[in-house]
Amino acid sequence: MKRPDDAGPETSVPAIELVDVGKRYPNGFVALAPLSLAVPAGQFLGVLGASGAGKSTLMRVLNGLAPATSGEVRVGGVTLGPRTQRAIRARTGMIFQQFNLVGRLNVMTNVLTGRLSHRRGLPSLLHLFPRDDHDIAHEALARVGLVEKAWERADRLSGGQQQRVGIARALAQQPNLILADEPVASLDPVTSAEILDLLRAINRRDGITMVVSLHQVDYVRRYADRVIGLHRGELVFDDVPGRLDAAALERIYGPRRAAPPEPADALA
Amino acid sequence: MRWRSPTRSGFPPAGLWLAPAGIVVALIVTAPLVEVDVARLAGAPRKLVEFLGHLVVMPDWDYLPDLWQKMRETLEMSFLATVIATALSLPLGVLAARNASPHPAVFHAVRQLLSVMRALPELVWALVFVSALGLGPLPGIMAMAFVTVGFMGKAFAEAIEVADPRPVEGVTALGASRGQVLSFALLPQAMPDLVGTTVYVLDHNVRAAAILGLVGAGGIGYDMVMAMRLFEYERIVLIALAIYVVVTLLDRLSDRLRARLIHG
Amino acid sequence: MADASIAALPPKPRGFFPLWAAVGVALVWTAVHDLELSFEALLYGIDDMAEYLGRYRAPDFAGLPKMLTLMAQTLATALWGTALSIAIAFVVAPFAARPLAPNRVAYRIAREFLNVIRAVPDMLLALVFVAALGLGPLPGALALGVHTAGFLGKFCAENMERVEPGLYEALSATGAGRAQVVMFAAWPSVVRETAGYALFIFDRNVRMASVLGLVGAGGIGLALHDTLRLFDFGRSSALIIVMLATIVAIDLLSSWLRARLH
Repeated sequence: MKRPDDAGPETSVPAIELVDVGKRYPNGFVALAPLSLAVPAGQFLGVLGASGAGKSTLMRVLNGLAPATSGEVRVGGVTLGPRTQRAIRARTGMIFQQFNLVGRLNVMTNVLTGRLSHRRGLPSLLHLFPRDDHDIAHEALARVGLVEKAWERADRLSGGQQQRVGIARALAQQPNLILADEPVASLDPVTSAEILDLLRAINRRDGITMVVSLHQVDYVRRYADRVIGLHRGELVFDDVPGRLDAAALERIYGPRRAAPPEPADALA
Repeated sequence: MRWRSPTRSGFPPAGLWLAPAGIVVALIVTAPLVEVDVARLAGAPRKLVEFLGHLVVMPDWDYLPDLWQKMRETLEMSFLATVIATALSLPLGVLAARNASPHPAVFHAVRQLLSVMRALPELVWALVFVSALGLGPLPGIMAMAFVTVGFMGKAFAEAIEVADPRPVEGVTALGASRGQVLSFALLPQAMPDLVGTTVYVLDHNVRAAAILGLVGAGGIGYDMVMAMRLFEYERIVLIALAIYVVVTLLDRLSDRLRARLIHG
Repeated sequence: MADASIAALPPKPRGFFPLWAAVGVALVWTAVHDLELSFEALLYGIDDMAEYLGRYRAPDFAGLPKMLTLMAQTLATALWGTALSIAIAFVVAPFAARPLAPNRVAYRIAREFLNVIRAVPDMLLALVFVAALGLGPLPGALALGVHTAGFLGKFCAENMERVEPGLYEALSATGAGRAQVVMFAAWPSVVRETAGYALFIFDRNVRMASVLGLVGAGGIGLALHDTLRLFDFGRSSALIIVMLATIVAIDLLSSWLRARLH
């Protein structure tokens, strides 16, 4: 069995493999119907779907925040389970719609939390990190252009800046894979484009696999290498963005509303 | 003229008079237990004035250095008790917080323990500890720490429970351990409440420490009882004034500090 | 290693944490030194404590009826104290609320009055009342009532200040007198919160009433003082159990009532 740490950027092993993965809640609600999927390393995968279609569930199934109730999830060739979960999370960055930063801590500390999975023991509990980690965090902050905000409290920053800190935190993990759950849904169009440009640059330059859920078709067309569409927990589309025609959108969003809200609507 | 209430029946709503009526009935029933005696009550104001009249004396200035010493002891006792209680309450508070406790059984057990610890007042535990350890400030400190752990542990747990779950998810998602989630996501969010509770407890402990001397557990209370028993009004004035000043100052200070913590 | 091409971090602002920590450690050290506490004594004490607490294992419930009578007296004292506290707060609170006070002088006097009675510990008040009225639960109830009226009065006054000012103006505009505004706008707006806080004060008074006996102000506290002095661990243990059970029961009852208020 391979350890996730040496999963590396080899192309032979898919970054993610799902085999009949489903999620059913105790009350019987099926959030995700069993689906199979393979994402090659280095791909920028867009995930489309209306609210409640299962996009967030899919993201959370991929790192065990919401464990799948059936099937098998393999990340970098390693099967996700209680024993491997921590090691897989260590190499999987996650970016959230609401940023999920610790507002009362400064930006630097928030980025350093990306190193936590690599540092066990008392010093990390006391917020002490080795020099190397500080350098990694510094570099990550430089990548997102926020070095000058390093010592400010995270909740003093604007939404776009907070999302950049979220990205820096993911980068500090030195991940093989980044999951971004509606990363721009709380941001204005200009900032959204900046954030997505940044994610794509990271994807291209570092070869980090990206799984990004979005609800603007426009963005998916512009940024993704491949798109999957979810409708009521079922996989209804899986192809290149170029094939996203009216019929495909109707399958994803249902017949009543052919076009999902465009960025302009989201602003209103 | 016939008086009517603005209700359909014209009688006051049941909720409004049932509770007060119940209280009045309870008061009448329990009057013999409290030995309510109208004649005695009627004589009370005169006696009180008489007592207060005794207090119009030249204070015993020679007692001041002693008073300062005792007051300092009182403050130091409450400070140490608060420090000890804080150190013990942090781990207990974590175990008693629904979102940080390792197991529901631990959560319930610790909550029960805390509620028993804070049930009895400091003076009862001070009595017990004095009878075990002898006179002095140590049993007083232990009594205060014991009771305030019961209070603080619960307050800490509640502060941790109201933490925003999103940063917790954020830190969990990147593979942090239980302890790291606590240290980086839960405690930073709970911090203002933790500090506010600690300030409140310090304030409470100073009030408690001022009377622990009644049972020989250190502090200024002992001098107060002795002065009272020996009718040393020259000292009573000074002691009462000192307690009043210290408690008031602390009360204002803690009000301000907590207001700043909440708004800042 | 961060390479040289990356912008340097801005200078880290100096936190005050080390300073506070140093002050805290110094204070602890001073206090331990002043109070002549030694860690050996503490360790020795803990060792002793275990043996000592073992003596409380066998509670002696022989005098249970007497204990229950004393506990009932304790509860009655707390009840009378709380009732007195409500009565005082009912009269004083409107004067201590800025929009309802007739003038600034009355407001200041009412506020200061509440501050003073809050600052004098109830045990000290009990000592004074016992000195003036003689022994018994009555001075105890008076002490509890006067002291907690300071808390209840302040609480009500602050809540009355938080009521939307338009409400008072609306009533005044109809020509209602000050007392009518208080009765029809102020009290009805805060009665629910006040009831909750009064229950909280009752809770607290039950606790305090169980130690008032130490200064001769009735209740179960004196009995515990006496049995401890006689080293009667069985009876002491029984008394503590009676107190603990009653207080926990009252706590549960009042938190149930408070939950029903909301």
